Amino acid sequence: MRILKVIISALIFNFFALNANAQSLYEKLGENPKIHKIMVRTLELSMEDERIAFTLERSDLDRLAQLLTDQTCELTGGPCKYEGVDMKKAHVGLGLTTGHFNALVEHLQQAMREENISNRTQNQLLALFAPMHRDVVEK
Amino acid sequence: MDELLRSLFEKKYKRLVCIIRSVISVHFNCLKFVMLGVMSFPTAVNAEGLFSQGKLIATGGVSQVEGAGGSGLTTWALITGYGTNKGMGVNAHHTAVWLSDFTLQSSGLSVGLFDRVELSFAHQWFDTGEAGARLGIGEGFTFDQDIIGAKVRLIGAAVYDQDKWLPQIAIGANYKRSGDKALVAALGAANTDSFDYYVSATKVILDQSLILSATARLTEANQFGLLGYGSATSTHTLHGEFSAAYMFTPKLVAGIDYRTKPDNLAFAEEQDAKAAYVAYFFNKNLSLTLAGVDLGTIALQGKQRGFYASLQAGF
Repeated sequence: MRILKVIISALIFNFFALNANAQSLYEKLGENPKIHKIMVRTLELSMEDERIAFTLERSDLDRLAQLLTDQTCELTGGPCKYEGVDMKKAHVGLGLTTGHFNALVEHLQQAMREENISNRTQNQLLALFAPMHRDVVEK
Repeated sequence: MDELLRSLFEKKYKRLVCIIRSVISVHFNCLKFVMLGVMSFPTAVNAEGLFSQGKLIATGGVSQVEGAGGSGLTTWALITGYGTNKGMGVNAHHTAVWLSDFTLQSSGLSVGLFDRVELSFAHQWFDTGEAGARLGIGEGFTFDQDIIGAKVRLIGAAVYDQDKWLPQIAIGANYKRSGDKALVAALGAANTDSFDYYVSATKVILDQSLILSATARLTEANQFGLLGYGSATSTHTLHGEFSAAYMFTPKLVAGIDYRTKPDNLAFAEEQDAKAAYVAYFFNKNLSLTLAGVDLGTIALQGKQRGFYASLQAGF
């Protein structure tokens, strides 16, 4: 009986200790400096990709990288506030397709790989971005 | 209804089989040739064109044993290939399963149209080896069947709807026809051709790097159809296919399949099929799936366990 108590309290202690230690996705991504680096690299790769380079032609890439960083930071539980327009307005008139959306995802994946973000963490971030497909893609 | 569909199929089917057979010959050498052709094709395809492979890698699945998009033994609701709603994809596959007493092979072609419709053709052949002699049908006797499949995605987006519980749902049918009519009838099968109907639900849970899939299949196929369809006492019954896979990287997926099967034939008990597999996507044109499988007892020959290898090439 006593052993059981010890085990249960150890489990409870562990549970809270683990939870206290559990990193937020924001932390796992390496917080703002690393997230910013990833976004800069994602845009760089996109500019080299003929499938989607044209969608960024008229963008201020520095500003876009900052907006993406703020957005990611806020989505993943970091201390930021995204102050850009919503996703639908941001992409209206670009005529973006699923192919365009996925091309950007592929560059984001590569940028995260280059920063040694684990695959699990990468997918957790993609899970937050994936529903934006509805607002970004027009046809 | 069934009869009408069947007679319609019968007419068109013969010519179609001739054409497809000439493309995928029963001989593997021929398939290798097709695969080489398929692999050299993408260089000729424009990045913005119909074959631009806009889907994310691995999200078309691989060719399952009946030729549909799925994993090893189970059909998924995903549409095969890398075509988005604005494109299409074409795959060729060859699968070999080396079992304790038998060898099962499957070759096929599949097409995904606008991430909505999937059409597939597979030819399967099942070499009985020495067991053929024990069964009295002759050493190395080979059963074969053709399978034509169609699948339609009804609702849901397995990858994008990460904020919803709704999976991607598709319905489909397989027309299966035995190449050994007299023998499968002699073994007790009621029909020498038949339809399978299924509904499939697949969900990618990105937050957990998981893919979960379940399919309900109405079928009377004995050993996937290799031993004919139904029997004097049984016809279509409902069966389940379940699959869970973990995405280690975008290119490396590993998982398990479980599939229940009918047990129609009086002479030989049939059991559920299981597999544990690893699929590696070299790129969007080539993938290799390796698996350990357990297909249970087949034609009175004890536990049929073995090794499964499947190569898929596409554009």
